[in-house]
Amino acid sequence: MLVLFETSVGYAIFKVLNEKKLQEVDSLWKEFETPEKANKIVKLKHFEKFQDTAEALAAFTALMEGKMNKQLKKVLKKIVKEAHEPLAVADAKLGGVIKEKLNLSCIHSPVVNELMRGIRSQMDGLIPGVEPREMSAMCLGLAHSLSRYRLKFSADKVDTMIVQAISLLDDLDKELNNYIMRCREWYGWHFPELGKIISDNLTYCKCLQKVGDRRNYASATLSELLPEEVEAEVKAAAEISMGTEVSEEDICNILHLCTQVIEISEYRTQLYEYLQNRMMAIAPNVTVMVGELVGARLIAHAGSLLNLAKHAASTVQILGAEKALFRALKSRRDTPKYGLIYHASLVGQTSPKNKGKISRMLAAKTALAIRYDAFGEDSSSAMGVENRAKLEARLRSLEDRGIRKISGSGKALARAEKYEHKSEVKTYDPSGDSTLPTCSKKRKIEEVDKEDEVIEKKAKKSKIKVKAEEEEENVLIVEEETPVKKKKKKDKKKHIKEEPLSEEEPCTSTAISTPEKKKKKKKKRDTED
Amino acid sequence: MKPAAGARGGGGGGRARGRGARGRGAGRGRGRRRRAVAAASVEPHRHEGVFVYRGAEDALATRNLVPGQSVYGERRVTVGEGGARREYRTWDPFRSKLAAAILGGAERLHIRPRARVLYLGAASGATVSHVSDIVGPQGLVYAVEPSPRAGRELVGVARRRPNIVPVLEDARHPLRYRMLVGMVDVLVADVAQPDPARIAALNAHAFLRRGGHFLVSIRASAAAGAAAALAAELRLLRREDLRPQEQLTLEPYERHHAVVLGVYRA
Repeated sequence: MLVLFETSVGYAIFKVLNEKKLQEVDSLWKEFETPEKANKIVKLKHFEKFQDTAEALAAFTALMEGKMNKQLKKVLKKIVKEAHEPLAVADAKLGGVIKEKLNLSCIHSPVVNELMRGIRSQMDGLIPGVEPREMSAMCLGLAHSLSRYRLKFSADKVDTMIVQAISLLDDLDKELNNYIMRCREWYGWHFPELGKIISDNLTYCKCLQKVGDRRNYASATLSELLPEEVEAEVKAAAEISMGTEVSEEDICNILHLCTQVIEISEYRTQLYEYLQNRMMAIAPNVTVMVGELVGARLIAHAGSLLNLAKHAASTVQILGAEKALFRALKSRRDTPKYGLIYHASLVGQTSPKNKGKISRMLAAKTALAIRYDAFGEDSSSAMGVENRAKLEARLRSLEDRGIRKISGSGKALARAEKYEHKSEVKTYDPSGDSTLPTCSKKRKIEEVDKEDEVIEKKAKKSKIKVKAEEEEENVLIVEEETPVKKKKKKDKKKHIKEEPLSEEEPCTSTAISTPEKKKKKKKKRDTED
Repeated sequence: MKPAAGARGGGGGGRARGRGARGRGAGRGRGRRRRAVAAASVEPHRHEGVFVYRGAEDALATRNLVPGQSVYGERRVTVGEGGARREYRTWDPFRSKLAAAILGGAERLHIRPRARVLYLGAASGATVSHVSDIVGPQGLVYAVEPSPRAGRELVGVARRRPNIVPVLEDARHPLRYRMLVGMVDVLVADVAQPDPARIAALNAHAFLRRGGHFLVSIRASAAAGAAAALAAELRLLRREDLRPQEQLTLEPYERHHAVVLGVYRA
């Protein structure tokens, strides 16, 4: 009887030397106690080694599914068919397949199981020519490649590339700007007018590279770089330029810098394309929703796509505005409405009033898109496209006034308020200056005095009014009070109670009465004002 | 959200540590004050390869196979002078059933240096890393875990530790990974399945050597049928020649869990 034994290093086919021992299932294990004993009962007939990990991987996959792969088929054909002996296999399903395809009789039974156990325990000794270390190394390597295969590890899905690319893009921009400024300044010594004529940096450098010294401008052709009039302007300016003369060497160095600038510019465009490709591959839905740059920045800010997916939609909305957020939270003011998401095209194309609304809606749908990309199995952008269409529809309805309200049942017409000019006087609030913990609640003396003054003034105003009323009609004080009251009510700023005022008017001034109320909380004071 | 995330992360980590600390304190009696940190020391546990860290709080620890690295954010301690400096990783019994079993008083833990272990239900590799620490560079741990999410973490752990072989297959079909696994000395089954005994038996028949030991974690979920379920599992084990020798509950670290230790085909 032959035995098929699969290892991570290759297929092993053993021949059972002593078939009689197989009768005693329970004591079969004794035969495998030592390598010598083991070699007496089974002998390695053939060992088909795997050439590389790929072959081993294929063999394993076939084994897992209970099928035969080509290599196994070949081996079996060669060895077993000739021997005309039954083959013992560990997997009954595999045995069935072998029988069907190769017409070999296969055995699977408890005896076979015992045999397998025995062989496995003496694996090292039974397969000469394979070092135990080689075996374990191969085993480990195979296990790792298998697990990677299982996890469908694709290099495309690594989002570290995005993070690095966007950081590099920003760095490049900074560097490019520095270099260009330097180039302009340097060459400006020689030909300052060119800087004023050509505003585009890349054209400037290319122009410079082509011509170099001022004297060559007359003979050079800049028609590919510049339009006709500009070229003429440049040539004219070159004739009457105020700049100094420079030597060959100097021009040489400036040209080097120029070349650098142009190279970096080109690389930047390349990098941007690369970033776009990667974004589309890794996070197609996010790209559709907010665009590549914003998407990449969001991922870079969070650290990885997975981290970004863990954030709530409200966090995605203000990602990038942390300084403003925490400052506002500490001084209890309004928090920012948008962070990095402000630069998304959807937010950019709305009117300033609706930017906040759109930013919130966009953040909500973007958070969904992020999660879909991070955890979803397929990488289609259908969901992103759908959501974007929805958002665009909502945006249109927001922009057009007089259309149905978005929230609620959607049946009520959106109310547009009558235009009233509300003059807003904004004063500087110093509470946002320092993020140190605010000082104690004790109010300073100046503050209290100031407040008193304000109240005094208001009280005086109302006092004068009341006095005027009283002088007119002493008898009808009570009736007069109500119109005065009504007047007061219209004036939203003044809530000072009428009755205590008129009562106390003859005896005490309100300036003294209000200090009694000083001890009340600040809020109440505000409402009184 | 760097500041917020940092705060949240710190809070999360602090919470986990606090839980562990309370757990360890609870094991020795509630309301125990933290000892003044005189000198942190590490002494060997009764089980070979396991250590006890005695510092402000006591903890179970294993010697770090890869010094300088934490696997799941656990605390590392370095003890010793000069050449004898050794790094240990503390072992959280709330995260690891094996640690809970040791603290629960397992008589004999057969996972020892140079052992070969088949670990079913490896998850993200937290416990497996400690087993890898114990068996050392001459031992071997086959970590079986079917879930790709957890498997990803496991592969990361295995990459750093050459004595862990990751097997991302279903433990219910041991024949599927027969190409990768050799005979083992110890079988640990911590699968979250309703039939751990059957799975353990299948794997034992394929890979556990004669006289090898096993450790099966059984979850008795429903309170009503808990005892009956446990008894049924034990019967199955016995039928498959997995003789139980010890049985202990994992309270207070895990609820409704019991661990059965025993020997195979003695």
